Amino acid sequence: MEVFFQTLVGGLGFGAVYALVAMGFSIVYRTMGLVNFAHGQVVMIGAYAASTFYMTAHVPFFISIPVAMVVTGLIGLVIERVLRPLENKDFDLMLIGTIGFGMVLESLATIIWGATGHAVPSPVDTEPLDVFGIRIRTYSIVVLAVAALATVALVLFLQRTKRGAAMQAVAMDHEAATAVGIHVGRSNAVAFAIGAGLAALAGALVAPMLYVNPTLGGSLGIKGFAAAILGGFGNIPGAVVGGLAIGVLDSYAAGRFQAYSELVVFLVFTVIIMIKPTGLFGERTVNRA
Amino acid sequence: MRLRVGGFAVAAVAAWFLPYGLDLYGIHVIDIAIVFALLAVGLGLAMGVAGQINLAQVAFFGVSSYAVAILTTRAGFGFWTAAVLALLAATLVGVLVGIPALRMQSHYLGIVTLGLALAFTNWVTNSTVTGGADGISGIPVPPLFGIDLSSEYLYYYLELVVFGLALAFAGFVAHTGLGRRMRAMRDDSLAAGAVGAPVPILRMTAFVLASLYGGVAGVLYAGLIRYVAPETFSIANMFLLLAMVIIGGRQSILGCVVGAVALALLREALVDFSVYAQLGFGIVVVLMVVFAPTGLAGIPARLRRLVRRRRTSDHRATLRPFRPEPAGGPDRVGASLEISGISKQFRGLRALDDVSMSVAPGEIRGVVGPNGSGKTTLFNIVTGIYGVSSGSASVDGRVVTGRRPHQLSQLGLARTFQNLRLFGQMTVRDNVLVALDRSSMLAVWRYLLWPVGIWRAERDLRARADDLLERFGLTDFAEAAPTSLPYGIQRRLEIARAMATQPRLLLLDEPAAGLNGQEVGQLGEIVRAIRADGVTVVLIEHNMGLVMSLCDRVTVLASGGVIADGTPAEVAVRPEVIEAYLGDSMNTADIAAEVESEAVR
Repeated sequence: MEVFFQTLVGGLGFGAVYALVAMGFSIVYRTMGLVNFAHGQVVMIGAYAASTFYMTAHVPFFISIPVAMVVTGLIGLVIERVLRPLENKDFDLMLIGTIGFGMVLESLATIIWGATGHAVPSPVDTEPLDVFGIRIRTYSIVVLAVAALATVALVLFLQRTKRGAAMQAVAMDHEAATAVGIHVGRSNAVAFAIGAGLAALAGALVAPMLYVNPTLGGSLGIKGFAAAILGGFGNIPGAVVGGLAIGVLDSYAAGRFQAYSELVVFLVFTVIIMIKPTGLFGERTVNRA
Repeated sequence: MRLRVGGFAVAAVAAWFLPYGLDLYGIHVIDIAIVFALLAVGLGLAMGVAGQINLAQVAFFGVSSYAVAILTTRAGFGFWTAAVLALLAATLVGVLVGIPALRMQSHYLGIVTLGLALAFTNWVTNSTVTGGADGISGIPVPPLFGIDLSSEYLYYYLELVVFGLALAFAGFVAHTGLGRRMRAMRDDSLAAGAVGAPVPILRMTAFVLASLYGGVAGVLYAGLIRYVAPETFSIANMFLLLAMVIIGGRQSILGCVVGAVALALLREALVDFSVYAQLGFGIVVVLMVVFAPTGLAGIPARLRRLVRRRRTSDHRATLRPFRPEPAGGPDRVGASLEISGISKQFRGLRALDDVSMSVAPGEIRGVVGPNGSGKTTLFNIVTGIYGVSSGSASVDGRVVTGRRPHQLSQLGLARTFQNLRLFGQMTVRDNVLVALDRSSMLAVWRYLLWPVGIWRAERDLRARADDLLERFGLTDFAEAAPTSLPYGIQRRLEIARAMATQPRLLLLDEPAAGLNGQEVGQLGEIVRAIRADGVTVVLIEHNMGLVMSLCDRVTVLASGGVIADGTPAEVAVRPEVIEAYLGDSMNTADIAAEVESEAVR
């Protein structure tokens, strides 16, 4: 039982990171129908930017995060601008285009930071908490708290601000949104910048938990994407639930199947998504003939 | 055609003499490039031709390579026995990876296949059977009638022969019925099903083909390098493969080969700057996707189109009149349609509520009603796109509800769509050919064992396609892309395509929407000729003039229920119809406005 809860708690820390990655996927997807396969690489750039700034400039960790968000936000704007001709048109081409961007970002990271990568010291170096015999890393709590704050902020933004409402409108019907005077291009750019910012947040938070190297983005991105689909693609609360679910699943698979955890996670994911392709909270899209 | 054959002959001769000019390193690079070319052809068939996002191609490659390695070194099998088993293993994995494609498409399929590829790498890196990260060495040299295949020069010729056969087979598949059906499915899977292409089987076929090519590549790789390790089958190599196919042109088999060979050679040339090479490939992929989505292979066609546009501005293709003479025998009789008590629930919305109607053989039936009254939903149910919540529909006494669209097409059901669903990236002739092709998927064995039969059937189909295009006055547009044609011609093409399936019941969903007055007149003539040909016609229409003059009987739907049924004259005067459909003022301007808004939509 103790092991059970220990694994659960361990999984939630990573799950929060996957949730942030999944939210980044979702916000971009719902607004402009763009599936950003380079999102994982943006997370990786965010991890590098934050950790490099943190370790070389010796500023507090939580100041390095906004810097990283600005860096990835700019990258996001570039990706969006280049792929704009394909938006709302050819899904498959766009998907391949973002894979191309992923290759570019990964090789750029190798050129800038080298292929070996670096370890990042934890910014919160207190002893793990002990709750009923379960050890909880303080840093995990920080990650969960930050992720929760980001989720609340995002939901409030989408529901309570004019810009957020405009983005919802674009998500529903970009032509109708144009007709009522919403600048769709600007709205998409904002969505992409937010998505990339969330990526940087996820990357920065995960940096002390993992070894930061150029291939970090690959598995984080795929698991985050899986989380987004699991929750129902484009659905913000779904992304959070999906992220936590993938994190916990990952953690149990690692405990039970050790090195084969990735195999197990993707097999389970495939089976779930076959049974329910729209995810937990996804809308069934009806074919209009 | 002659030019193309000549080109192939020159390429074959050049390939045959190529090794004489290469040193040992050079031939090794070429040997590897051929393996990649095989992989790229398989990926091109799945992604470019069939439109199935497949990011597990390296896994198929890996399964086969590892199978050869394990069976020869651990189980003591001979190389070729192991090779056959490896092909079977790869195909089996292809079937398993393809199953998700039955339920999801596009990016969902992308992430699932990528996840499964990762799962494979994860397994081979950790399992003891696969030798973990060290891989397996000591794969024996494949024996071949005393030819020493440990020489990479001689191995090159083995690869060349296999590759030549594989390329010819891929080209044959892509340019005949199977490939055409796959392309139709890529362009519009709903319409492909409606004209009789068995979409689920085609999706599986795409994955089987991809895995077969991956398997052949894996066997050749294992025999060439005689050592397998996980990094060969990494996601990075998957993306490199994807870059090859996109840069070369995913819809063209030759393009895939060109892309694969070019990138494999470039990668070797830039081996000291591999990071910069990857950067370059990524940038080129992005540029290609945005500016040249058809890849290098599409560039000649684009240039040709530019030139042609300049030259032929004075000669304009014209839509010829429809030829009303019957195509079928005079003994053909249309099918009857019986709809009894159909209800359809979409979550909270009841789109159809206990709808019943019966259409006699050879009738022309109009289905009218305000927007949102459930007309198209009814069509979608009858043609197998939606299931029913309750009730059933039967054609000539055979229940059609609960069957797949392609099965209904084989039963003699055809339809057109409200918002045109033509196969946009295929020519007008190919659009018709897909529908004319009535062969069962069971006949695909002929691709392996009796290609001549396929070829003959193909010739016959082409002749019939030309007849049909002639009959519908579309001959001038046979080679055109449907999306480049005026709206009225696209509408007529959709009817021609539906008629190509030789239906006994034809459902037309707003065939007059967007047509001008003259075209509406032609449409009426076409529909009458179709009925005279032994086809029952049911049409949804907002153009009341057409409905009144054309239909034998009219059924009126409102809010998901039938409110009237009778001859046009009877129905038009019923007060509930006037209220539901025309509004209570019976102002005919409303109809005009309605037709206008439909046309715009």
